[in-house]
Amino acid sequence: MLTYLIRRFLYAIPILIGVNLITFALFFVVNTPDDMARMQLGAKRVTPEAIEKWKVERGYDKPLLWNAEAAGMAKATDTIFFDKSLSMFAFEFGRSEDGRDIMGEIKSRMGPSLAIAIPVFILGLWAAVTFALLLVFFRGSYLDFGGVVLCVAMMSISSLFYIIGGQWLVSKVWHLVPISGLGEGLDAARFLILPVIISVIGGLGGAARWYRTIFLEESNRDYVRTARAKGLSELAVLFRHVLKNAMIPILTGVVVVIPSLFLGSLLIESFFSIPGLGSYTIDAINAQDFAVVRAMVFIGSVLYIVGLWLTDISYTLVDPRIRLK
Amino acid sequence: MKPVLLWSDAMFFLLLAFCLAGIWWARRSPQLAAAWRQVGMSRTGVAAAAVLSFFVLVALLDSFHYRERLPQQPGESVQYGVEVLSALDALLAQQKTRTEKTYSAPLATHLFAKESRADGQGRDFPRLKFGGIHLDDAGERDADVLQRGLIGLAGGGVLWLALFVVVRQWFRPRASWFAWDALLWAVGAMLLIGGVLLALMPHYHVLGTDKVGQDVLYLTLKSIRTALLIGTLTTLSMLPAALLLGIVAGYKGGWIDDVIQYIYTVLNSIPGVLLIAASILMMQVVIDTHPEWFSTAAERADARLLSLCVIMGVTSWTGLCRLLRAETLKLRELEFVQAAQAFGVSSWAIMARHILPNVMHIVMISVVMDFSGLVLAEAVLSYVGIGVDPTTISFGTMINMARMELAREPMVWWSLIAAFCFMFVLVLAANLFADAVRDAFDPRGRAA
Amino acid sequence: MVASVDPHAALLTVAGLTVQIGAGRPVDEVSFKIMPGETFALLGESGCGKSMTALAVMRLLPPAARLASGSVSYAPSAGAQSLLDLTEAEMRRVRGGGIGMIFQEPATSLNPVMTIGRQIAEVLDLHLGLSGDAARKRAHELLDTVGIPEAARRLDEYPFQLSGGLKQRAMIAMALAGEPELLIADEPTTALDVTLQAQVLDLLKQLQRERGMGMLLITHDLGVVERMADHVGVMYAGQLVEVAPREQFFGNPAHPYSRKLFAALPERAAAGQRLSTIPGMVPPLDAQPAACRFAPRCSLAFAECSTLAPAWHVQAGGQAVRCHLFDPLRSSAPVVAEVSPPVAAVERAGGDTLLQVRDLKVHFPIRKGLLQRTVAHVAAVDGVSFDLQAGRTLALVGESGCGKTTVGKAILQLIQPTAGSVKLAGKELTGLSGNALQPLRAQAQMVFQDPFGSLNPRMRVGTIIAEGMYALGLRENVRERIAELLEQVGLRADMATRYPHEFSGGQRQRIAIARALAVNPKLIVCDEPTSALDVSVQAQIINLLHDLQQQLGLSYLFITHNMAVVDYLADEVAVMYQGRIVEMGSADTVLGHPQHEYTQTLLAAAFTRMRGAA
Repeated sequence: MLTYLIRRFLYAIPILIGVNLITFALFFVVNTPDDMARMQLGAKRVTPEAIEKWKVERGYDKPLLWNAEAAGMAKATDTIFFDKSLSMFAFEFGRSEDGRDIMGEIKSRMGPSLAIAIPVFILGLWAAVTFALLLVFFRGSYLDFGGVVLCVAMMSISSLFYIIGGQWLVSKVWHLVPISGLGEGLDAARFLILPVIISVIGGLGGAARWYRTIFLEESNRDYVRTARAKGLSELAVLFRHVLKNAMIPILTGVVVVIPSLFLGSLLIESFFSIPGLGSYTIDAINAQDFAVVRAMVFIGSVLYIVGLWLTDISYTLVDPRIRLK
Repeated sequence: MKPVLLWSDAMFFLLLAFCLAGIWWARRSPQLAAAWRQVGMSRTGVAAAAVLSFFVLVALLDSFHYRERLPQQPGESVQYGVEVLSALDALLAQQKTRTEKTYSAPLATHLFAKESRADGQGRDFPRLKFGGIHLDDAGERDADVLQRGLIGLAGGGVLWLALFVVVRQWFRPRASWFAWDALLWAVGAMLLIGGVLLALMPHYHVLGTDKVGQDVLYLTLKSIRTALLIGTLTTLSMLPAALLLGIVAGYKGGWIDDVIQYIYTVLNSIPGVLLIAASILMMQVVIDTHPEWFSTAAERADARLLSLCVIMGVTSWTGLCRLLRAETLKLRELEFVQAAQAFGVSSWAIMARHILPNVMHIVMISVVMDFSGLVLAEAVLSYVGIGVDPTTISFGTMINMARMELAREPMVWWSLIAAFCFMFVLVLAANLFADAVRDAFDPRGRAA
Repeated sequence: MVASVDPHAALLTVAGLTVQIGAGRPVDEVSFKIMPGETFALLGESGCGKSMTALAVMRLLPPAARLASGSVSYAPSAGAQSLLDLTEAEMRRVRGGGIGMIFQEPATSLNPVMTIGRQIAEVLDLHLGLSGDAARKRAHELLDTVGIPEAARRLDEYPFQLSGGLKQRAMIAMALAGEPELLIADEPTTALDVTLQAQVLDLLKQLQRERGMGMLLITHDLGVVERMADHVGVMYAGQLVEVAPREQFFGNPAHPYSRKLFAALPERAAAGQRLSTIPGMVPPLDAQPAACRFAPRCSLAFAECSTLAPAWHVQAGGQAVRCHLFDPLRSSAPVVAEVSPPVAAVERAGGDTLLQVRDLKVHFPIRKGLLQRTVAHVAAVDGVSFDLQAGRTLALVGESGCGKTTVGKAILQLIQPTAGSVKLAGKELTGLSGNALQPLRAQAQMVFQDPFGSLNPRMRVGTIIAEGMYALGLRENVRERIAELLEQVGLRADMATRYPHEFSGGQRQRIAIARALAVNPKLIVCDEPTSALDVSVQAQIINLLHDLQQQLGLSYLFITHNMAVVDYLADEVAVMYQGRIVEMGSADTVLGHPQHEYTQTLLAAAFTRMRGAA
């Protein structure tokens, strides 16, 4: 068991190297250091010397991937790729174009992102599972049919409309909560209610329908028939037998996103002007700030791999077949 | 006139050709024919397919591109306009060219904002340049709209009745299993709405105009092609890779499997939006630094559209690849594969003859299931600024512009509502169709 | 009908029970009675409505099925109830309480993420109100009762930690927990190995005796019926066709279908004689004959059989038959038992050695630790040696997991052997690469177990048969050859253009045989070719294999767990146990005078139930 988890953890290293290679290729092969320097220095006063100087200052004067002139190990290590990747692994992301420390920025923006993402995750999971169980309990009835139709309709609405519609309805027409921004301390809750509710509703249709399928598939199994033959009530069958088995496929999709909650939601944060990592990313994309995007790609991958790892662990908690093997 | 074949047009035609070939192939294979027959029996499936085929028709019209020949001066060689037009533009020439000055509400006769009067005496809502100009008195508008609307409705109704009779007399007796009633309902609804729209379109901006006075209905119809292209070409662009790698990984196992799994785990672990953002930013740099590659703005926008499809494909093929690998692992153990091995049939022949046909239903299901998600994703990405080119008309760019307008007082709501309705109908139809296809093709789905 | 018993004393009375799915009737007017302490066996082939009957009694029918009519009266010591009139809440007290149920597949019928103890405690809590320590103590006792060793530890284990036999015992313990007066056992031993089958049946019988339970036993296995039942009901296509006390039934089966079932058993036929078969197959739900359901397959049918539904006719000794032949008003002569024509017994002369296997080993690595290094090997096949002469049949016998299938696949090089030698007609097969192996592929082919998995559903039958011919370069007259092969295996030449899903299990197995024959092999490895088939169809396939051997001089390596088939078909027998051959010799010697302890157990389990009835 433990060796299994350690092995899975070590597996992360080659994957992160791969991620780095891809981002590196994206950012440097298409857009060479010369191009970067030209863009940074502005098109007018570019001389070859200025470009060279810029490159030396930032460590871009080395070869990209392979230094044929260096000796021994340095052939691979004395390169831009190695330098930049190594600093990534040390979580040193350098500065953004406006000169701020990226790591510091990320740390300060994590809080607001989590303040939205965690309630959305928990409430969303709860709402979707409850709704799906309700539909399965009344399976075959008109309630079930209507519920599925509702789910499909809800899935068919773009999240943009949920946000725009919700903002407009609640804040402009009903004047219930502030439309955007984030307050201090407890006051923050007032600002968070709307984005949280909108995100939960926006994700409900697809999730509930997916869970319903899993529950239905599970309730056709032989052991459910055995449970019924014991004389258990339909509710006991559903909660004691079906739910626990259905958690295994549900976990696959759910646990893996938990670490990524740190990244926040791009849309919600930008619409509601919440200073989280999601809006940070969007701003960076709009400002074409490659350093920030690259840092976020790396952090995103790390969190995803942590998510995979957590999925493995959660399996072992739920499924005795894996735990005791 | 000079026909222009954009890359996306070529891909779209290729896709349609594939579909036709697929239909021909399905007719020969009883399992596929039976599964499609089941889709044909599903009421929601048929209704959704009818609605979807309307969208496909619009997109198809919008894919025959050409450049207009400019009036020739004596002694000059033939010159063509820089603007690339489509057959849809030609059909909707009125809507395209009759732009107002700025916002106007649906069916309005006056502009939405007050302007200084021409005679300098205070401010007023000026009459539109095109919307409702046939009316001498703007007060007659309601009666005029009602009258024209009813005529359109009646026209649609007559067509529907004709269709109804044809289906009753001719089609239904020949294929009674098909859900003709659902088809009639869906087509009927479209005919009635279409009749009203067609009757009003020559004289009004039925869905109003946007900030620069463009007809919103025209914009919405133009958005359809973008949505359909994103929804289909994305999956298609990476389909060969997903099929090949998924099947090879599952069948061969060993280190090949490890390498392929490694590749898709790496791609999966990069947050999709960020990968798309990074790639699109880079792509834009490439496009901007090589203006000589593109002879028109349309071609440049088209290059961005295609690269968006490919990049979204790269972020989304891994799911399909994993499904195919898992299914191949199961099939590999089946006895008909071992029987082929016992004859010494080569691995590639086994993969092509025994595995591939038995995983095609998964491909089928995943293509139709992904479609709606991709259409929705386009809107979000374009909103964030990493979607289609800002000059490409799409639901995303429409929503992006409309969002600003909500803040106006009084509110400009029509472009948002128009985009919402068309997108909702498209995605809902796609979802319902996907459900019908999955029920018919997925052997596990039957029990549920 | 079953008039000889006092209706007031019956524990369960089922009358006119009819279940509908769409327009079809998987259970049609079924009536029977079960006395306290007595076992009533429902016997029939797959798809005849046995399980559906049991589920209808429990009111656990799948959503598509509907109870159309009939009544079920359950009369335990506490007082009679009409089960179909109870509310759902009242019915839940009967399920698991008054009536316990055991299912066929112990591997899937237990909740995989719940401990055995919890699953039993659930019943105790629900029906006896026991919880906590009292429930645990009782569950412990129950596990002891069903003979699960180390019961205390097993209570906290999950189903996957128990072997198949133990799982089924746990299942029985669970069914007993509510102290039922009636036990419904749906194919309780079908999924188990033959030695375990005997143990579980003995256990059920003993428990029944101790507790005085009534039992409804559902099975397709005549041997199980003979061992367990007091009364037998034979079902065919949704209807009961014969109900009789066991002695009468086994002494003189009355209905033509019952008699055919007996005649189709390989253990009833002398070696070399053709097995009696039932032509055709059980009619599907939507095409049930209107009058006598068996008439289209009945060799004794006459005009009336296909126009008039037969009534029940009670014979001496309480034997009731639903067949026109037993109508006392009919003047026709009483039925004469059919005798299947003996096949000219050809002495199968042993030719040259076709296949020589020496010290064959197949090891699968066990990987462990951080780097997934191979730390040990599972010896699936651990040094197997045997010879097979041309034109003869060697049966490789053993229970599931003993490595017999792996031997078959290793001989054909479908699995790479770890060590040892396989010589086919004097040529070494192991270690040959793809191309060098090709000419030898034509000489040895395989027929697989699962008739549904062995044919590619997306290919036409003709293409399936032709695939091997093309792969091995036999490209001449392919079309004619396919037609010839199809007729050789008893199908029609025009079936080549159809797809596998249009065929029944037996027909698919014929196609698989034709595919193997297409490349003119000398050796066919048959991996349990009949175990997924019903008895009557099994007989057809065995006859076919037998005939083909006579005509073409084929050698068979026949892999099976079914001793009766071995007895009928094999010249030599090799018994495998845990990867090794423990006993080998001529069929008569091994089956007649088994030396090894394991062979004796195997034979005892397989044959005790049949000997008495012969």
